[in-house]
Amino acid sequence: MEFKLEAHRIVSISLGKIYNSRVQRGGIKLHKNLLVSLVLRSARQVYLSDPCPGLYLAGPAGSPAVPPPQPGEPAAGPPAGWGEPPPPAAGAAWPEIEPQPERPADPATPRAGDAEPGAPMTGAGETVRGGEVEAAEAAWRRVEGPREAAEGGAGGPAGGSDGFPEGLREARRHCGCPPGAADRPGPLGACPRVDCCCAPRPAEDEPPAPPAVGPRKRGAAGVGGGPAPGSSPLKKPRRNSEEQSGGAAEEEEEEEMETGNVANLISIFGSSFSGLLRKSPGGGREEGEGEESGPEAAEPGQICCDKPVLRDINPWSTAIVAF
Amino acid sequence: MPSHRMPSEADIISTVEFNHTGELLATGDKGGRVVIFQREPESKNAAHSQGEYDVYSTFQSHEPEFDYLKSLEIEEKINKIKWLPQQNAAHSLLSTNDKTIKLWKITERDKRPEGYNLKDEEGKLKDLSTVTSLQVPVLKPMDLMVEVSPRRVFANGHTYHINSISVNSDCETYMSADDLRINLWHLAITDRSFNIVDIKPANMEDLTEVITASEFHPHHCNLFVYSSSKGSLRLCDMRAAALCDKHSKLFEEPEDPSNRSFFSEIISSVSDVKFSHSGRYMLTRDYLTVKVWDLNMEARPIETYQVHDYLRSKLCSLYENDCIFDKFECAWNGSDSVIMTGAYNNFFRMFDRNTKRDVTLEASRESSKPRAVLKPRRVCVGGKRRRDDISVDSLDFTKKILHTAWHPAENIIAIAATNNLYIFQDKVNSEMH
Repeated sequence: MEFKLEAHRIVSISLGKIYNSRVQRGGIKLHKNLLVSLVLRSARQVYLSDPCPGLYLAGPAGSPAVPPPQPGEPAAGPPAGWGEPPPPAAGAAWPEIEPQPERPADPATPRAGDAEPGAPMTGAGETVRGGEVEAAEAAWRRVEGPREAAEGGAGGPAGGSDGFPEGLREARRHCGCPPGAADRPGPLGACPRVDCCCAPRPAEDEPPAPPAVGPRKRGAAGVGGGPAPGSSPLKKPRRNSEEQSGGAAEEEEEEEMETGNVANLISIFGSSFSGLLRKSPGGGREEGEGEESGPEAAEPGQICCDKPVLRDINPWSTAIVAF
Repeated sequence: MPSHRMPSEADIISTVEFNHTGELLATGDKGGRVVIFQREPESKNAAHSQGEYDVYSTFQSHEPEFDYLKSLEIEEKINKIKWLPQQNAAHSLLSTNDKTIKLWKITERDKRPEGYNLKDEEGKLKDLSTVTSLQVPVLKPMDLMVEVSPRRVFANGHTYHINSISVNSDCETYMSADDLRINLWHLAITDRSFNIVDIKPANMEDLTEVITASEFHPHHCNLFVYSSSKGSLRLCDMRAAALCDKHSKLFEEPEDPSNRSFFSEIISSVSDVKFSHSGRYMLTRDYLTVKVWDLNMEARPIETYQVHDYLRSKLCSLYENDCIFDKFECAWNGSDSVIMTGAYNNFFRMFDRNTKRDVTLEASRESSKPRAVLKPRRVCVGGKRRRDDISVDSLDFTKKILHTAWHPAENIIAIAATNNLYIFQDKVNSEMH
């Protein structure tokens, strides 16, 4: 549990650093931001591999490092200088992010140049926390809804969940298996019931409908299809802003980003990594989704077994790019 | 000079470099200035004023700039200074900020012509009617004047921030390295450079490492090394290919899995690499250690020295306050037997490679009184504490010694402590061992 808290704290700090780097004299330092992104990756891995779903449900009580959320309060207002209005509520970000983890990997889901850190550190913390609690409610409602998501995807391949909502889902697994059971591969994770839905999803199993991967889609004609059916209308404005910022992927400069994207970032991390995971450049995008063969390739230094499924995109590198 | 920053921030020293004889010492600061010190000739009469360094010249090397295309401010901070080998009476050095390298020529003037026919001593034109005879002007001694002039400006060669420059042993070319590329320049040609290393991935999203430092081999003009943020060194041979993306040798130490933490990658990033004077070894500095590598062995360093391992348990706090990103430099002594690097609390460390003894010294006002002997310091990590020990928790992390330099031949070291420069001499052991 402490690892999770520390990891969460490190994620907040890291995002704050990246945000602050935008206003530093001399422009954004590529080296430092790359290092911060590596820390973010490590923290995220630990965060997601430590199955404490209670953390989400319990709310802020379990995380002394984070200010208590204000569920009714909209996302922390953007700092001066941000050109775009924040989404109405950070919580609104969650419903569309949540289905993401069910989908192993959007084929070549374009890495949006969006993955920029948003709020300053405290803002990030607040936003995330606020988002979490709201996401808890929102995601919970969603899980009850479309069964397909829960059945097929709840198990999810072993290892790191894809962001908070998944951990949430685990707690509510309707088969009754203890949360986190499917999180661990192999004998550790075996559910007592053979037929329960916790069994790791086979590699080829993908949910019928492409989930809303809004923030990661680069263009309307984004590879992997357009917006998922039933995607929240709130997603659009954010995606637009991210698409614009995605266009500037090459060089350092980047447009401002909304506060709500901070929450998106957290779950984006949950979804996939490539370049930073691999030792060799030229990431795994070509591997595409569905390529996750049984045992994930153990990468040196990995703390948990991340789903190979999700390694086709590294939005965090995109954040670096965006600079 | 107008500055909106704290009054002393512009004075923070950002680089220190002796020239090839050790007679001159150049420092660069955050305000874009270069200050050159010259060693006074030792006077046989006064034994205690042997070879002290006095200010020789000060000039403004770089100014802040604004890149309008990218809406980027370009800092005037001097990242590196490198001296050119002296080829005539003038001295030359290269200074660089994040984007532009400049070649400066430093000349002395100690004579001036007197006795002009057409103008008087103040330079005013004479009334021609008063000129009755012709005279030949003669050179008369004058107070020494040091003149510095920019001879070349090497601009627009780098998209990313320049982190190192290195003059080739051929004395005709030099290289400059930024995060992703290394360019080779000819000292006389400013409008173009040759790209010799490019690690920029086709898709920036695949970026996993950046170049952190680079240096030419001291003797072989075709060899150079560059270090990466992943802790590896690549030795490249310019004869092998025009683009040296493929290294000739890759020096990398496998990571110790037991030391893995959130910050493993950060602390393995190499902040400085220096060839030994012999050219046989390389010295690297990462956040917690200095390592000596043998050019003939790529698998691991031959020596590893812990600079401040007591910080290993504090990495999270150091990450929070950004100290973990500090880029410490390292230095060899003239005989390659001792290596030196800086640390926090104005401490710096020296490691004797032969005796395996190390010492921690402090650069402070007290220690810099003339003829004061530096007292070895000790950081205690709990357990038994001696009287003058400093505990880890009382270290001042704002006092960091990032830049140090060692005289090429003698036991004289220059230590930059924020905005103060300390020069220490080992009078007892002037000779290198």
